Amino acid sequence: MTNLVIDGLRRTYGATVAVDRVDLEVAQGELVALLGPSGCGKTTTLRMVAGFVQPTAGRVLIGGTDVTQAPPYGRDTAMVFQGYALFPHMTVAENVGFGLEMRKIARPERETRITEALRLVRLDGYAERRISQLSGGQQQRVALARALVVNPGVFLLDEPLSNLDARLRAEVRVEIRALQQRLGLTTLFVTHDQEEALTMADRLVVMDRGRVRQIGSPEELYERPADIFVASFLGRCNILSGVLEAPGSFRAGGLLLPSAGERPRGPAALAVRPERIDIRPDGGCLPGRLTMVTYLGGMTEFHLETPAGPVLVTKPTPAQGDPLRALVAGDTVHLDWHNSFGRLLGIEPEGDLP
Amino acid sequence: MAALVVPALLLVLLMMVAPMALLFRYSLNIYSATDLMIEAVTLQNYVAAVADPYYREVLATTLRTAFLATVIALAAGFPAAYVLARMQGRWKSILTLITVFPLMVGNVVRAAGWMALLGNTGVVNTALKAVGIGSVQLMYTPGAVVAGIVTVVLPYMILTLAAVIEGIPRNVEEAALNMGAGPLTMFRRVILPLSLPGVIAGSALVFILCMNAYATPVLLGGSRFKMMAPAVYDQFVRTTNWPFGAALAFILLLVTLGLTMAGSALLQRRYAR
Repeated sequence: MTNLVIDGLRRTYGATVAVDRVDLEVAQGELVALLGPSGCGKTTTLRMVAGFVQPTAGRVLIGGTDVTQAPPYGRDTAMVFQGYALFPHMTVAENVGFGLEMRKIARPERETRITEALRLVRLDGYAERRISQLSGGQQQRVALARALVVNPGVFLLDEPLSNLDARLRAEVRVEIRALQQRLGLTTLFVTHDQEEALTMADRLVVMDRGRVRQIGSPEELYERPADIFVASFLGRCNILSGVLEAPGSFRAGGLLLPSAGERPRGPAALAVRPERIDIRPDGGCLPGRLTMVTYLGGMTEFHLETPAGPVLVTKPTPAQGDPLRALVAGDTVHLDWHNSFGRLLGIEPEGDLP
Repeated sequence: MAALVVPALLLVLLMMVAPMALLFRYSLNIYSATDLMIEAVTLQNYVAAVADPYYREVLATTLRTAFLATVIALAAGFPAAYVLARMQGRWKSILTLITVFPLMVGNVVRAAGWMALLGNTGVVNTALKAVGIGSVQLMYTPGAVVAGIVTVVLPYMILTLAAVIEGIPRNVEEAALNMGAGPLTMFRRVILPLSLPGVIAGSALVFILCMNAYATPVLLGGSRFKMMAPAVYDQFVRTTNWPFGAALAFILLLVTLGLTMAGSALLQRRYAR
């Protein structure tokens, strides 16, 4: 049973706070993604878990043991680096076997495990190749095999897909997730790509300027974001600012808009996902004038100007004959959504949005 | 584009290749006390040099000194080169400047400094006497020459190594540590093999400089300590035996070239596989 506990982790560089009071527990076999814009502290957090960065305060526990003071080579972690960091002077097999050699595993067992690991990442037959003879995707799989082969207590991934092209990325994403689940690895994953995080992780940690904004399942974070930052960082979101006059009465641009959730009265923001908004010829809560219609194949985007501000609506592209199909820029329509899709959030100070 | 190479090419042809060809021609002539030399095509100067135990000893001294100085420069230069390569920003430029600084002092001036330090009434001996150990012969010893040469060649070694170490990605080191290698194992298994091109280039450069050292062995080694470059000088200037001096010069050139190439090949095979 190996879990990872991060307890009040903090790291400062001079006056700059890179990571501030991060608490997190990753359960055995769970994949948790640290997600956030660049400079949010996610990589520093990961590097503190690996032992490359010494925390200013706080602790890191692996399987219940405090490893905060342990050097990188004294921790039961294995990391897949951004850009892979393979040993260019060694063959594929030597790269994969390096960790086993360091753990003083005897040669016969080492060879069995190298073969197994290479089969796991579908690189059987590549053992004697040199790293420079491999494609980017193959190098990525060698890096995976090198980390997986030692059966680490905690598996760390630092933007492992950022050097791959889009098609390969989607493929490897699924592969990594399948391997991680099959081997039951406790995993911490750093990414700035929300799609990657949403599709791979059991739970997400959204970070911003060194702090954790929200921790939860992909669904929780998307459907019930805790604040405007999370709402607009994960997926696309319409944020309408207005005033909550009474419970259930949110007014923006002079109109009462459908909303749900408890908040103190006063200035507030309403978060509505673009795919939850209906477009009607009349009778909706919010009138709007179309400024642009963007056809994206399967989906169509409708950009509108409304009294409450600009609004984006996305719909599966309507069929021929559907009145929506005929809409063009300049048309006036009405928007509406169910109460439960209008999520009330607090107003944030300027500059806090992604 | 090719035209851009012409000035440098002419310079090399004129200043390097032509004198070398001329020197080689001289080495096949016969020495004459009255006519300087007699035109001939004979290997007798080479045979005489190789057969003479004195010159065999001079060559052996040269090889010992050059080899020792190269090894010391490599051992002392590597850690410094590593620090220099991994340093960033303003400190890197300052450290590079400090590394290059000794090159701004001429060999003779530097050797004079060593004489002041190591002489019988020099700084070291004065200190030793004061502590009660008594005077020790430091000047005119092989050790003094090696120390003197090392200080000359060290900057070349450090700069050559640092250029190669800089190209080794930082995260490759981290990967080794992460896989369970301690700092020493990481160095031996990752840094050292990856910096091999620098080790080869730096050692070759330094070895060649050491083999051809002139001022340092003359000033710090004294008259009884003889290396090849001063021996060649003696033949040309003191005995005016140009053919024999030319032959000695070519023996030095061939031995240096041969050993440098053999050493590089050996290192490459040993680590690169």
